[in-house]
Amino acid sequence: MSLLELEDVSVHYGRIQAIHNMSFTVEEGEIVSLIGANGAGKTTTMKTISGLLNPSTGTIKFMGEDITKMKAHIRVVQGISQAPEGRGIFPAMTVLENLDMGTYGRKDRSGVGEDLERVFTLFPRLKEREKQFGGTMSGGEQQMLAIGRALMSRPKLLLLDEPSMGLAPQFIRQIFKIITEINGQGTTVLLVEQNANQALARANRGFVLETGEITHSGTGKELLANPAIKEAYLGVG
Amino acid sequence: MSMFDGPKPLNTAKSDQASTDMESSGLTQGSSAAAPRPNRKFGAWSDRWREMPRQKQWLVLIPIVIVAFLLPVVNPPFITTEPGNDWPLACQLMAIYALVAVGLNIVIGYAGLLDLGYIAFFAVGSYTAAMLTSPDSAFIKIPYLWTLPVAIAVSMFVGVLLGLPTLRLRGDYLAIVTLGFGEIVRILATIIPAMKGQPGFQNVGHPPGVGADGIPIFANSNGTPWYWLTLVILIIILFLVGNMERSRVGRAWIAIREDEDAAETMGVPTFKYKVWAFALGAGVGGLAGALMGGQVGFVNNQKFDVVTSILFVAAVVLGGSGNKVGAILGGALVAYIPLRFTAIAEYKFLIFGLALVFIMIYRSQGLLPAKQRLLAYGTKAYAAVRKENSARVRKNGDPGAPGGTAGSGLPPAAPEPNAEGATS
Ligand SMILES: Nc1ncnc2c1ncn2[C@@H]1O[C@H](COP(=O)(O)OP(=O)(O)O)[C@@H](O)[C@H]1O
Ligand SMILES: [Mg+2]
Repeated sequence: MSLLELEDVSVHYGRIQAIHNMSFTVEEGEIVSLIGANGAGKTTTMKTISGLLNPSTGTIKFMGEDITKMKAHIRVVQGISQAPEGRGIFPAMTVLENLDMGTYGRKDRSGVGEDLERVFTLFPRLKEREKQFGGTMSGGEQQMLAIGRALMSRPKLLLLDEPSMGLAPQFIRQIFKIITEINGQGTTVLLVEQNANQALARANRGFVLETGEITHSGTGKELLANPAIKEAYLGVG
Repeated sequence: MSMFDGPKPLNTAKSDQASTDMESSGLTQGSSAAAPRPNRKFGAWSDRWREMPRQKQWLVLIPIVIVAFLLPVVNPPFITTEPGNDWPLACQLMAIYALVAVGLNIVIGYAGLLDLGYIAFFAVGSYTAAMLTSPDSAFIKIPYLWTLPVAIAVSMFVGVLLGLPTLRLRGDYLAIVTLGFGEIVRILATIIPAMKGQPGFQNVGHPPGVGADGIPIFANSNGTPWYWLTLVILIIILFLVGNMERSRVGRAWIAIREDEDAAETMGVPTFKYKVWAFALGAGVGGLAGALMGGQVGFVNNQKFDVVTSILFVAAVVLGGSGNKVGAILGGALVAYIPLRFTAIAEYKFLIFGLALVFIMIYRSQGLLPAKQRLLAYGTKAYAAVRKENSARVRKNGDPGAPGGTAGSGLPPAAPEPNAEGATS
């Protein structure tokens, strides 16, 4: 049984169709990367999985259970957590308050302290800045906060929407390193990126999304080696 | 930690002290202009307030409450609205507006829902009180004080009724739709015969009691008892709102205000909480309306216009959206200024308009900026972690590295050679 399974999912914005009959799976323990150019439908896919958007057709299954109609705030409790594109942190809350919001849907309060420690270990900067307002942090810090906050719900599946967006190259490497580390600690990661190089190198498997359709799929290495992808997404050729 | 070190003013500030004392260290002078900064003076003041023990807070509060109760009796020179306007009645109107602002602050300040038609709930409350007490009404009659809880219930119901279809809208769209609420009530009052249009309802009820001179204590022209009643109710509401603010519900509202999608993906049932904010705000608005109807003694369809509704919003924004003390101040000021300065009363909308423009430019947080107190739970969690950590330090002298593998990505003391050029 796959952890996440999309079957024939289509998503519309009004009459505009953003996702066309998409099907893919994410297995437990994997890092799966979804790459694609601007407007390919990556964010739409993520929002559909987290429940912020409803598919017009198709089904989404999480741990074997049909969650297509499930509200977003319940999917968090089930174990799907999203660090949204553009960070989406709460600017007028402090770092600690932001992280605390991540535990909102949690039933087991006992593990919170432990998870907070884990987040602070992954991102020592957040600990230094725990009383700073989210909105006054730098882009990279906000990204760390968004990921940290998403981890506070102790998700089974972590959705990361362009975590490297707007970051300088050396920080991008760091973020990807941390993503691998999070995965190593047992969290399945679905990653959306334009930064195909890093995203595919770190991934078990990957998909290429073009105007709402999956056009290539394979292991990270396969996709990296594919000349068509090289040309389109890796800035080679 | 060099990672993400940007051109920030204080990236060397490592110590706890620096981060605790945000006001003085200027940590908040960072990048994002959109993020509200705690105001220096008031921020420090409210910090001090929050650190005070409960008993000490009472010691400060009680004199303030006593002064508030004495206000209509003392009739302070310069401050008084006389001879132009009766001072106790002015106090009553200020208290009513303060109550309205506290209620609307739940909707606008906490949940971030710009409701331009709040007057609708005020109207529903007024009509509820009038129709259940006035001899002009064909309805059953109940004692006036009983109309207060009924007014709350009816307005909350109307709040849910108007909220359910409209709260799916966001931002500007919601604001435009709410603009219609007040008009809906006004038009209904005109076309429904039982609501009696312009003739309206005379002799709306009031609380019982007759003075020595045979005149009812709660006569329409006797502001002081009305003011005291409203003040008692205001204090009760403040107490309830304060508790709510610090609860899970309060945190959910702030999160919705900050970023609705993010709140939803944190597990906050956003729609439900928005409807709740709307309904609770409506309940307080209806309560204020019922008090107003009773005191004035006359309710008709001419009193509930959009402009007054906007004035309510101005009270909240002026005082400091999200701060209930600010809301009281804003509400009282909006009521007070036209009564005190009768010469400029005609221009009150112009003046409040200008005041709002100035506030938005120079003090976008309002007179008393909001300072959330969401940490009740988070601090506890963090304190637990600290304790655990320090216990570990004492045991084996190693503050970090709890699990060995964790933390390997970012050794705390390894400075990246190339930390410049960070995004900000
Ligand atoms: N709220 C919206 N309303 C209408 N169209 C939208 C909306 N959001 C995204 N789209 C469209 O859907 C397509 C996919 O967008 P998106 O998922 O954001 O792409 P990506 O994240 O890959 O850059 C784009 O063509 C975009 O214009
Ligand atoms: Mg996107």
